[in-house]
Amino acid sequence: MFDRVEAFYRPGTVREALRLLQNGKNRARVVAGGTDLVVEADRSIRFLIDITHAGLSYIRRRGKACVIGATTTMATLENSPAIRALAGGILARAAATCGSVQIRNMATLGGNLANGSPAADTATPLLALDAEVVLADARGRRKIPLTAFYSGLRKTAPGKALLIEVVIPALPRGGRWSFQKLGRTESDISLVNAAAGLQLDSKGRAKWARIALGAVAPTPIRAVNAEKLLVGRKVDESTLAEVCDQVAREVQPITDVRASAEYRREMCRVLVRRALEECAAGTGCSL
Amino acid sequence: MKGRCLVSSRKDPEPPAKPKAGFSRRGFIRGVGLGSGAVGTGLLEREAVAAPAPANVVGPGPVPITLTINGKPVNVTVEPRVTLLDAMRNYLDLTGAKRVCDRGTCGACTVILAGKTVYSCSVLAIDAQGKNIETIEGLATGNNLHPVSAAFVNHDAQQCGYCTAGFVMAAKGFIDKHPNPTMEDVKHGLGGNLCRCGTYMGIRQAVVEAAKEMKGGKNG
Repeated sequence: MFDRVEAFYRPGTVREALRLLQNGKNRARVVAGGTDLVVEADRSIRFLIDITHAGLSYIRRRGKACVIGATTTMATLENSPAIRALAGGILARAAATCGSVQIRNMATLGGNLANGSPAADTATPLLALDAEVVLADARGRRKIPLTAFYSGLRKTAPGKALLIEVVIPALPRGGRWSFQKLGRTESDISLVNAAAGLQLDSKGRAKWARIALGAVAPTPIRAVNAEKLLVGRKVDESTLAEVCDQVAREVQPITDVRASAEYRREMCRVLVRRALEECAAGTGCSL
Repeated sequence: MKGRCLVSSRKDPEPPAKPKAGFSRRGFIRGVGLGSGAVGTGLLEREAVAAPAPANVVGPGPVPITLTINGKPVNVTVEPRVTLLDAMRNYLDLTGAKRVCDRGTCGACTVILAGKTVYSCSVLAIDAQGKNIETIEGLATGNNLHPVSAAFVNHDAQQCGYCTAGFVMAAKGFIDKHPNPTMEDVKHGLGGNLCRCGTYMGIRQAVVEAAKEMKGGKNG
């Protein structure tokens, strides 16, 4: 599959990886789990820079934030007690649906994001969690919101930068969370996925809301207008209907071999409704 | 993919590449540093002059590596691009793992790498160094089948048999982590393996039975 690959580099540090990437022109590619690269079989790749030995596999608490290293595997995320306890376990749940066991044992969080797929299962919950990503390049490190990381279909910000880690900031108190996925099978690529976060005030009105969707736009997206519509209102039948209508207006799904745009749009309504209902019922564990 | 042959009983026809004569890594790096484009361009050009080639560069050209397969160290010389699957099949005569989709979908190439099931078509051989690789060839003890293999026989859990080696390894990896599975757990846990003959029912029954058998602890 890596037909044209000539040399393989295994940098032991981020700095070394960056230097290699800098010098590799367009013929070097960063590889972690390699599960996407194998399928892509890009014949312009001459050099692989394997970053799985660069010390980026970790899950840490930093102050009130949770920090996840870029080469942390899906299997690690789905089994980590810290990630399972974080925000109702939505990230763990998403990681657990990211392909088969064999894929999840290799595939990494950083790879899932940096590959730039609009259907990346972990991107959707991370958007709902207001996650940020730390990028490193020759000039240093910078932290940007995940929303800014995606710049278009299969396009991400880095260029010659390397995605180092994902930062999940402190979560709203009493937040309720949900992740929903629709695919042909549970571990297949998402036709649509959705994540929601909800904080209710003492009267049961939405005080804070997040609605994120995957596979229905050029990048994973937040349905910002639907969130605005929800805030300040009781989460009842009529609100849900209005919010889901707004979600359907906000997404831009396409028709492909897996589903039609119309079907995807309709499923956005269904999944967001399920997600918000699960949040409102508090059946996903709250923090 | 050149030379893919789905139904041949012989090995994949892709021959092991011969080392290019007179070609060394250091020579490559120096050449690139001088602006030669013989092999490729770019990587490491600046530090190549100042520092010796770092030990963590592999290739270009075939490199000697040591794989630990079923507990035994095996030496092989492969190009960095060679996958673990191709290294086993084309260089080491271990043809149990099958090359079917060669793109991390079907599971016929499943092996257990450092205790985790992986698609060997998606792992580079050089990256599998230092980890124990369990393959179908190492499962039986003498003439005694592993309980998973025996259960596959008992339940007629194959038809053409092409996916079987991968399924057996995936099943072993699954049972190692889930000693007490239900049919539903098995269906979920073996979702990364496909059987085009459709023998899933037999396979699931076999895995549940094998798990019970293995709880005795003899081969667990």
